[in-house]
Amino acid sequence: MVSKIIIKLWSHKGGVSGIILLLFLLTITVYTVSYIPASEREEWNNPSFWINYPKNAAPYWINFFLSFLHEQLPEHKIFTINDATVKNYTEGNDYKVQNISFFYEHSYSEFPPAFSVPYSIQIGDIPPAVEISIKRPDGLAFVIYYNSLDPISNSFQDGEEYDSAQQLLGTEDRDFENQKVVEEVEKNSNVISQRLFSSSREITQSLADKANFFDFPINDIPAEKVIFSDTKNNVPLEGKYEFVFSIYSFENTTNIEDIQWIVDGKVYGILGTDDFRRDISFGIMIGTPVALLIGVTVAISSTVIGLFYGLLSGYKGGRIGSLMVVIIDIFLSIPTMVLFIILSLNFGRSILFLIGLFILFGWPGIALINRTFSIQIKNYAYVEASKLMGESDFRIVLRHIVPQLIPFTLANFALSVPAAILGEAALSFLGFGDPSFPTWGQMLQDAHFSSAEILGYWWWIMPPGLMISITSIAFILIGRSLEAKSKLNKMR
Amino acid sequence: MSIFLYIVKKIIILVIVLLLTLLLTIFLLGSTIDKIMIDNIRLQIINSLSGSLSENQRLNQFDDMSQRQKFIDQQTTLQIKSLGLDEPWYSPKKILNTLSQIITLNLGNSRFFTTYDGSSSVNDLIEEKLPNTILLFTTSSLTVVGVGIIVGSYLAKREGRVTDKFIAGLASLSLSVPPWWFSMIMIVLFSFFLQIFPARSTPTLAPNSPEYVGALLYHMTLPFITVVLIGFASSIYYVKYIVLRVIEEDYIKTLGVIGVPPRKILLKHALKNAGPQLTTMLGIGIISTLGGSILIEEIFDWPGMGNLFYNAIIQNDSPLIIGLVYFFTLLYLITRLILDLTLSVLDPRIRTEDN
Repeated sequence: MVSKIIIKLWSHKGGVSGIILLLFLLTITVYTVSYIPASEREEWNNPSFWINYPKNAAPYWINFFLSFLHEQLPEHKIFTINDATVKNYTEGNDYKVQNISFFYEHSYSEFPPAFSVPYSIQIGDIPPAVEISIKRPDGLAFVIYYNSLDPISNSFQDGEEYDSAQQLLGTEDRDFENQKVVEEVEKNSNVISQRLFSSSREITQSLADKANFFDFPINDIPAEKVIFSDTKNNVPLEGKYEFVFSIYSFENTTNIEDIQWIVDGKVYGILGTDDFRRDISFGIMIGTPVALLIGVTVAISSTVIGLFYGLLSGYKGGRIGSLMVVIIDIFLSIPTMVLFIILSLNFGRSILFLIGLFILFGWPGIALINRTFSIQIKNYAYVEASKLMGESDFRIVLRHIVPQLIPFTLANFALSVPAAILGEAALSFLGFGDPSFPTWGQMLQDAHFSSAEILGYWWWIMPPGLMISITSIAFILIGRSLEAKSKLNKMR
Repeated sequence: MSIFLYIVKKIIILVIVLLLTLLLTIFLLGSTIDKIMIDNIRLQIINSLSGSLSENQRLNQFDDMSQRQKFIDQQTTLQIKSLGLDEPWYSPKKILNTLSQIITLNLGNSRFFTTYDGSSSVNDLIEEKLPNTILLFTTSSLTVVGVGIIVGSYLAKREGRVTDKFIAGLASLSLSVPPWWFSMIMIVLFSFFLQIFPARSTPTLAPNSPEYVGALLYHMTLPFITVVLIGFASSIYYVKYIVLRVIEEDYIKTLGVIGVPPRKILLKHALKNAGPQLTTMLGIGIISTLGGSILIEEIFDWPGMGNLFYNAIIQNDSPLIIGLVYFFTLLYLITRLILDLTLSVLDPRIRTEDN
């Protein structure tokens, strides 16, 4: 049976391309389910998970096309402590200077949009001072940040105070975009963790003193456009930059735990990132199993219900039959989109609810098709013959009518998958999606809410919609070719 | 079944569906509506209490704040009783009352939205937005069907394998692309890259200024093109399919044998006989765009009912939601009814189709 269907499909060009598309989707599904753990999938809506990613970065391959125009967009660079050269300088027993240098090669026609430095330092009783300086390719060097860290271990010894501090940090953490320095304090260890953003006030202030280096006013220009700028005009200065992160400590226990230097790029990954710094390819991957799950579950349930309901109403006929048709009529004349919205308004935001909703409104159409078929088959000679032989109605339906309808049912199944997927995407787009299952529709909703189409973030809009279309067309092609190959047998 | 019975049956189904939808809406939003009304009453009483009196005089009316509060509560409960709001929303009397209010278009006031003139009545709001929705979606549906009939019957006459496959593929594709996503792509293309059309389709002019109609039509262009692009391929595909089926009937073939010119056969006989099916196509087109209008209008910010509905949902404006659900359902059902009636006039077979 299965091999027959596959042979049938293979002989049809549309069927072949449908199967290839489906295999592509299944590959993504298998990869996602087996290599991305569920805990990581839940991080989609967690902003701090994505903090090391660039904001609104285009896919990296557009640099290939831009190279014809002799332009390059900056790539996203994350330097870890392993990429750095660390130099230690000690004087006496206690005074110690640690210089951690990163080398950044800038060869792009645009400024990097931002940079950030997350670091954690283990400290003793006396907190160290940190300094960030920069050596530019034109020989200019200046300090862009200086700060003596607060002595945490003393001030947070009181439990209550610590709690309130933590609460304060918690509220600030939520919109970390506005809060430029995120500070985390672990109570029992003497490790201080901070993240310095290029837009922080300290950097802007220390840059204001350097105005005489530049031939243009730098007051209103963001820090990264000053640091990476030519001194004559405000254009990017290409070459090798050295960032030096220095720790001046007065105690032996002071030590750098971890440091990164993140220069944000305007291109990242194969599909880029969105306004919330999320990697779009990650969203596309975790959306695939959910879309297939919704589509297939809804399609199976509604075809099975539709098959038996249609058969029963067609085979029974008479008053009960007409009543059953009226019920189908009522279902079909309900404006589904409006109803879906008001239902979701009260019960929504759960994936099971959405599936149930699509099943509830998916079966009537299929029932109507099956009814026409069963009326036709009912009058075939062999059915009448089995009736005369005294077979029960149930047996006739199961043995003679259902097998005839299997090819059609499979086609109906394939053709009702897209309706469910498109419906889910539309409801998610309106904001009724299940937040614990990120879907393509929800990605597009985020894009629309961030005005991505007006700001021209095409890489955020294209992939989710393309995936929805690919999934739908795969099933439509398979369904169409199944439909084209199936016909009723008059003889058995 | 006679045509009379057929029409009666269709109208009964229409009424049942309308009542079911309204009952469901009341069921889902009823409790919030009561809350809104009670809040309004309380607000009115407090306002009338303050009236023109100054702060001091008002306070002197009562010994202290708690007495004033008591008075307000007393007045509120009195009014609530007189309006029947003390009964829960699910009491039959109450439901009948709400239902009759909705059906007689007594839809109340929106909580957050006003028309351009400043009226917050739900009726006025719908009256302002409905013509825009009808303007956009009927013109685009008619264009889609028009293009379909012209190109489809042309293609049916001369069957070319390449164009056939191309149109069939395009039709499958346009069914699988979400229209609202396609709208976003169109905005990126035409408003961001090419900068031909505005991304937001609500004109900034006042609706009563003389240039308003022109501005509205200019703003309508992009949504219009989008809806036409989404629909035209399937339209051509179905017209071609329908016309081909009619052409293969014996009576058309006979005409060809007699010597009637093919052009005349197509225009006079084939299209006429394909009429009922083409009408169905038009109707289904309009019906399906009505549902999709909510998303498309929201994306283009077209000042129509769909956009209003979306915003009402975001703001949880219950009176407006109920009013719009009623109008959407009514519009949808009436379109269906007209479709059914036209079909039964054009094609008598449909009436007797049952069993």
